[in-house]
Amino acid sequence: MSELHTPQAGDDQAQDTDVVALLMRQHGDIRNLFDEVEAATGEERRDAFRRLVRLLAVHETAEEEVVHPFARRGFEGGEQVVEDRLAEERAAKETLAALDEMDTDDPEFMPQLMQLRTDVQEHARAEERYEFTHIRRSTDATALAAMAKAVKAAEAMAPTRPHPGVESGAANVALGPVAALMDRTKDAVRKAMGNNG
Amino acid sequence: MTFNPLEQRGIPLDRQVRSWRELNVEPVDPDRCDPYTRCRIITMNGIEVEAILFSHQLARNTVDPEIKRQLARVRYIEAQQQKVVNWLLPGVSSVLETTIAYEQVAVDLTAWVARMEPDPYLKQAYQFGVLEDFDHLYRYANLYEMIEHRKAESIVDNLTEVMPGRPTKFHHRDPVDNVRDPYAKDETDPLSKLHALTIMSAEQQTMNFYMNTGPTYMEPIARQLYQEIGLIEEEHVTHYESLVDPGETWWEQLVNHEYNECYLYYSFMEQESDPKVKAIWELHLNMELEHLHTACDLMRRHDGREPQEILAPELPNVLTFEPNKQYLRELLDTQMDLTTLGAGYVREAHERFEQMQEQIHGGEEPPSERVMAEHDEMFGREYRVQSEGEHPDPAMREK
Repeated sequence: MSELHTPQAGDDQAQDTDVVALLMRQHGDIRNLFDEVEAATGEERRDAFRRLVRLLAVHETAEEEVVHPFARRGFEGGEQVVEDRLAEERAAKETLAALDEMDTDDPEFMPQLMQLRTDVQEHARAEERYEFTHIRRSTDATALAAMAKAVKAAEAMAPTRPHPGVESGAANVALGPVAALMDRTKDAVRKAMGNNG
Repeated sequence: MTFNPLEQRGIPLDRQVRSWRELNVEPVDPDRCDPYTRCRIITMNGIEVEAILFSHQLARNTVDPEIKRQLARVRYIEAQQQKVVNWLLPGVSSVLETTIAYEQVAVDLTAWVARMEPDPYLKQAYQFGVLEDFDHLYRYANLYEMIEHRKAESIVDNLTEVMPGRPTKFHHRDPVDNVRDPYAKDETDPLSKLHALTIMSAEQQTMNFYMNTGPTYMEPIARQLYQEIGLIEEEHVTHYESLVDPGETWWEQLVNHEYNECYLYYSFMEQESDPKVKAIWELHLNMELEHLHTACDLMRRHDGREPQEILAPELPNVLTFEPNKQYLRELLDTQMDLTTLGAGYVREAHERFEQMQEQIHGGEEPPSERVMAEHDEMFGREYRVQSEGEHPDPAMREK
């Protein structure tokens, strides 16, 4: 086996001056966490799943706050493209909420997680192909960098490294429920965008 | 078990056309399928693409309208086969993920063929080529981690190692040095003909794939890497197609194509782990048997010869996708520094090679080197999968 660890969100020295490149790497980070949840058992699985939930929550929140509004007005047909993506995100959030209330050892957990993995992956590719392509085409470097900064601020809300042992429980409690995390992410993103409203 | 396609009958040609419903196949799971199922899909797509292109070329060189019509009928079925096979690939995969799967095909298919090839000159041609595909896999794997934060391991699944082969920058040879000597059609083992056709088709498909998908990337380093490796695929197609005896008649070549399709569908049917995909291999084999009979009739009519004269008495051992790690390590240990000179191989960087290198690199690092530098800047390391230990060549170990 390779001894390399799987890249985690923010786990590189990329300059992150391009929001699209950053989000595409986050899509990979999300897939990596799905793999981790699947491969783990017991407490490790619980921990990996918490990290997945957090990353998904902040990633989708950041996209909703930063990228989708930009795409909506940024290119022709953007409105409809964003509507389609939001519908996918709503569906994914519902599955996520259901999973979030389930114990990771529940026999129903894995089949639902696999369904979510498929849905999230299709959603991510649709974004890359139908939304991000247009953003890169119609956006200057300054705007790409500004959006990247906001997404990085969101990313900082979701540490995705495994927590050693019992600390994971405490760390999760400290982060609180997903809804509260999303709210805090929104605040962080808006602050980074220079807009407190 | 012996299987002689010449003695079997398949589905009558007039019952082979499929409706939209039958063409609408369910793709394999992008993340959880058997990597070798994906390899078999990519291989058979390349084989069907070659079948279609060859038939078009033959039709363009055929005067008799009745024969043109006959070729068109079979070719339409082959076009449907290609659609079914290639549409097994999932839409959710990125181009780069499919590319890494293409390189896994190139590595494990070519290595297996090299191991089984009875003719030493042909064997050397495959051994030489596989070390280059092996290096391409390594470069693309590093690009993949940069763009998608994913490890190529999630695609090749530890069946194939990922580490440097013959460095890509040294693959750029003077084009004349890519032309090999052909086998002799009447003396060579019939298996050698099938090998040459299979590898040529797979490399041709890879060339087509890179030349068309490369520019869909926006990242400059990705665009440039596809351009560089795409040009090496041109060299590889030249290398492998020149192994085939050009003295084979059109009809003889047609029979070899159809026979090879039977051989490969049969081989893959025997080893397929995915039941839905296995059913497709079986169905297509039953179609190919009739295509083969049609081709044999054409050869008898136009060449006045029996196809048995050019074919094996029975189907060779099944062509198998399996790990070739130790074999590749032996080659890495002994053949890294080879290049070609004329139709042979040498170890020194000869004048014509150096000239080409100067021309194409223009004194700068090529994309295949820059991708590693950019990856290092991002992660402070390389991406490799060395499941069997350190690189056999000390010079190629990670610093």
